[in-house]
Amino acid sequence: MNFELVLLAVPTLAKGFWLTAVLTLISVAIGFNLGLALAVMRLSKNKAFSSFAKGYSTVFRGTPLLVQLFLFYYGLGQLSFVRDNPVLWWIVGDGVHCAVMALALNTAAYTSEILRGGLMSIPGGLVEAAQACGMSRLLCFRRITFPLAIRQALPAYGNELVLVVKGTSLASTITVLEITGHAKRLMSQTYAILEVFAIAGVLYLLINLVLITLVRLLEAHLTRYLPR
Amino acid sequence: MLNMGNQNMKLKSLLLATFFAAGLSAAQAAEGELSIGTEGEYPPWSMADSAGNVTGFDADVGNLLCAKLEMKCNFVVQAFDGLIPALKAKRFDIIISGMSITAERKKQINFSAGYAELANMFVVKKDSDLAGIKDIETLLKSLDGRTVGVQAGTTHAHFMEKRASSAVLKTYDTLDQMQIDLASGRVEAAFADASALQDFLARPDGKEFQFVDVKVLSTVDPTLGEGIGVGIAQENTELKARIDKALCALVADGSIGKASQTWFKTDISRPCQ
Repeated sequence: MNFELVLLAVPTLAKGFWLTAVLTLISVAIGFNLGLALAVMRLSKNKAFSSFAKGYSTVFRGTPLLVQLFLFYYGLGQLSFVRDNPVLWWIVGDGVHCAVMALALNTAAYTSEILRGGLMSIPGGLVEAAQACGMSRLLCFRRITFPLAIRQALPAYGNELVLVVKGTSLASTITVLEITGHAKRLMSQTYAILEVFAIAGVLYLLINLVLITLVRLLEAHLTRYLPR
Repeated sequence: MLNMGNQNMKLKSLLLATFFAAGLSAAQAAEGELSIGTEGEYPPWSMADSAGNVTGFDADVGNLLCAKLEMKCNFVVQAFDGLIPALKAKRFDIIISGMSITAERKKQINFSAGYAELANMFVVKKDSDLAGIKDIETLLKSLDGRTVGVQAGTTHAHFMEKRASSAVLKTYDTLDQMQIDLASGRVEAAFADASALQDFLARPDGKEFQFVDVKVLSTVDPTLGEGIGVGIAQENTELKARIDKALCALVADGSIGKASQTWFKTDISRPCQ
């Protein structure tokens, strides 16, 4: 380990740290809502909704994130109607926007499966009781089904959050300068692979430690009425 | 039954032995075989097909060199920014991948004498205001705040970081990816070898683009190197001496010049001093 190189690498990689955090935050925010909608669609009695949600999750879980990134960034970027449409080009034309889209669509598929598991674990009696009290379907979902489902799904969802953080490193392949992007650039400038990637690893670990702690706190908060 | 089991064991150990032998020869390079690391995605220098066959100027230089040294060539395809780490890890004996000799790379590996040198140039859209610039200083100043594409780990990337640090630099793993982004307008200019960019300009998606008429040579800045050499591991001094001698002869008898004419329509061979 060369200490001078560490001093050079830490501030450079810290610049990527914030972009990694932002990529994670925005794609999780979009992906969670999309995933929730997909989970509800999947459990809906409407055949069209449920088969769409099923197909979506099969396609996005069945293909690698790297392939999805390349398809969106390089693939869609070659179509002239995408290039001429200002809204589409705003998304696809910029590496960061494109990475957020791919990550959000990808995590939505996994989130939908996790939430579906949570929603299916709710005993039918609870829903029936809520309906007997006169709750509308939306109110029952908001007060009974969703809070219980999220409590059930949280441990698995925490795992998915960690995977999203690690997935952001693939954005470096489409010119995004997040932690890995800066690390690759530093590697070709200094060839100090050990130092640079060790620091990059520590930064990812830091983000994930914070996330895991937050999820644990939330879990403790949600299960505070349960006997231990 | 017992016999069958024995045979199975024998077969397994035989298979294992073959695997180990294969592993050893890849790592140490059996006597008489020269394994050459090359990028395989940098036309017309080095193009690998799906079967692993390598063609291009690099392949020609490699094959000429092997013939001169009376060794058998074995090409190993590896992304450009991983070539030096892989050579240091002894994945192959030498690098022939249009690699420019630079001071930074020399800290990591040794180089043969330069056997070729060519101009580096910028490509921009024909209607760009950069298109008419004629001198390097004006050009570098005009790049302020513009997005410029380069290939990761190349001398072009180092040059841009040093001499045009106010430009927004986008680095790509392969030249193909950079050219896709140039064609789609994600970068305003691309900086690379004139030969590689010539290839892009000849393609349908390159027809709206042109060179900026400024040849950026290694005299402008030492980051651009001392020409192109064969990369050799630092401890391999005996091999370096043999390669230097062979390359000098190949340049002197015009073989490398001839290969250069085939791929670049111009002679880029560099006489050894």
